[in-house]
Amino acid sequence: MLSSRLFRTISFQLTAFYCLIFAVGFLSLLLITYLTTTTALRSQIQTEVLDQLRTMTTEAETDGITTVVEDIIEKTAVANNSAGFYFLSGPDGQKLAGNLDAVVPTAGWRETGLNFPTAAKVDTTLDVDHQIWGQGNRLSDGSFLFVGKDARHVLAAQEEIVSSAAWSSGIAFLLAVLASIYASRGFLRRIDNINQTSLTIMDGNLSQRIPVSGTADELDKLSANLNRLFDSNQSLMESLKQVSSNIAHDLRTPLSRMQQGLETARSCAKTKQELTTAIDAAVVESDQLLATFAALLRIAQIESGTRKAGFKQVDLSKMFDRIATAYQAVAEDQHKVLVTSWPSVCMVTGDEELLLQMTVNLLENAIRHTPAGTQIGLALAQTKSDASIIVSDSGPGIPVDQCQKVLEHFYRLDASRTTEGNGLGLALVSAIAKLHGSQVVLEDNQPGLRARVSLLRR
Amino acid sequence: MKLLLIEDDKQMAEFILRGLKEQGHVVDHATDGKDGLFIAASEKYDAMIVDRMLPAIDGLRILKMLRSTGNQTPAIFLTTMGGIDDRVEGLEAGADDYLVKPFAFAELLARLAALMRRPPVSNVKTTLRVGELQIDLLRRVVKRGDRVVDLQPQEFKLLEYLMRSDGRIVTRTMLLENVWDFHFDPQTSVVETHISRLRGKIDKGFQSEMLKTVRGVGYSLRA
Repeated sequence: MLSSRLFRTISFQLTAFYCLIFAVGFLSLLLITYLTTTTALRSQIQTEVLDQLRTMTTEAETDGITTVVEDIIEKTAVANNSAGFYFLSGPDGQKLAGNLDAVVPTAGWRETGLNFPTAAKVDTTLDVDHQIWGQGNRLSDGSFLFVGKDARHVLAAQEEIVSSAAWSSGIAFLLAVLASIYASRGFLRRIDNINQTSLTIMDGNLSQRIPVSGTADELDKLSANLNRLFDSNQSLMESLKQVSSNIAHDLRTPLSRMQQGLETARSCAKTKQELTTAIDAAVVESDQLLATFAALLRIAQIESGTRKAGFKQVDLSKMFDRIATAYQAVAEDQHKVLVTSWPSVCMVTGDEELLLQMTVNLLENAIRHTPAGTQIGLALAQTKSDASIIVSDSGPGIPVDQCQKVLEHFYRLDASRTTEGNGLGLALVSAIAKLHGSQVVLEDNQPGLRARVSLLRR
Repeated sequence: MKLLLIEDDKQMAEFILRGLKEQGHVVDHATDGKDGLFIAASEKYDAMIVDRMLPAIDGLRILKMLRSTGNQTPAIFLTTMGGIDDRVEGLEAGADDYLVKPFAFAELLARLAALMRRPPVSNVKTTLRVGELQIDLLRRVVKRGDRVVDLQPQEFKLLEYLMRSDGRIVTRTMLLENVWDFHFDPQTSVVETHISRLRGKIDKGFQSEMLKTVRGVGYSLRA
């Protein structure tokens, strides 16, 4: 299983491919060495043979054939025939001298077709093949003279080259295979890690991460990126879980209240008036439930980002004017002081309806969650690069460690959830701020809370 | 009134039909876009109620096609919850008003009534009168009987809208949309606060109360 996968890995295939190219290069180098060596050695033998042949031919022409016969006898007397091989026949074809049995009397260079004489002694201490290479020459009187040399040096060199080539390419191939197996196994192990981690995460163990080797290579980068993906996946899943359980909790309470009210009315109500009252109460509860759903859907829609397509130039100052006119009286009626300030013009790019709702939500939070007598500030501050919507109050504020949590869906500072509201107001504000590429910053107003959203101006 | 309802959801259609018939209206009902478009184009209605999601031809296309042929029958567009883009799309397609499902029947009734009394554009009045209350829109002066009532701009706008409603009920949402241009539900009593201030100015010290609260539905201004 592992072995067949090993051969299919990219690193193995790459290594094998490089081995092949290397082998072709290596073999051509050997071929060239083989050819040049052979040629050099051959021409050396050839020179020697021709020199001797020329000398002996001249000798025969000037001093007569018998001198050559004597010369040959002298030369063939040397041990192991190391002086060379000779054959001399007369014009009638009869052998006159030489340590070769018979040579076909044709002139020219030949390397084959020459048999060792049965009685010829050769040096057998060298464990190589013997072959006679030489040249024949017809003398002017019709005699035939052949001079040859043992070509064992050439053959030995050739054999050496071939065998060393075989050895070294064998070793190189073995090394290449081992190296590619090693490389591929390392590669495979890391790929297996990634696969294993992905499977574990798919099985539900979201906290699992791919080990990073620290070498900063491509696989490490891939692992780090995948780990980041898993991080965001985990946090999304967690917030989803949180939201679903919050929805279940927050919707169960009003639903069960509604059910109790209706059941009580069915069993206890005696007059039509009592029934109507119970139904009215149920309608109020269901209205609240529907409002919660509407808010959830609205947040989801804002988070999907489709509204971005409809962004236009918005004058925040005009918007602030509208809000101030609408809420001055509301704040007054609740015995709170609304202090507003905004520049005459302040343009940003955004969705006016959503920015209005965001600001109104922040302001209404300040009005609803502070005691009577609180001063509430609604301010628009602009610099060259951005415009900040700031809603501040001098009320009880929010503990620093809760500042991030209140932006989550359904999070309520009031753990008993008895005060009005669905716990989605700030989640909506946060979603709108994010849509506009910003975020809600909640700070200590010393005392009280200050909420700030800075929008980029363009 | 003769009305046309184009709605494929059975329960929703029954709910609307029953309510409208109780009010004495004559209502025709089409269950898909094709029939709806055909009926709307071939008969004359006082108003129509068109759902957005319909089989065959959707509500947006019905409105666009009718308007392109010159049919100006007032139309209320019904959209599903949370569709924040639907309102703009519906109005652009030619709807005169929109309602998000689910809605209280009184809300639909109030909006239908508001559609019916829309005056022709040419007939712009500069003074409005309800009983002894009158406002001069050009000079921005409000009088009840002989007494001049001093109003804040927001209160003036609110009163103008109520007076144009001509004694019919207007709901809280209608006020939020038309007076404040708020297309969401505020968590504080914006409407109630301003209504009570306006009431304090136009009704205080007079024999009869003109600005009435209709419990669970909205407000009406009548002599």
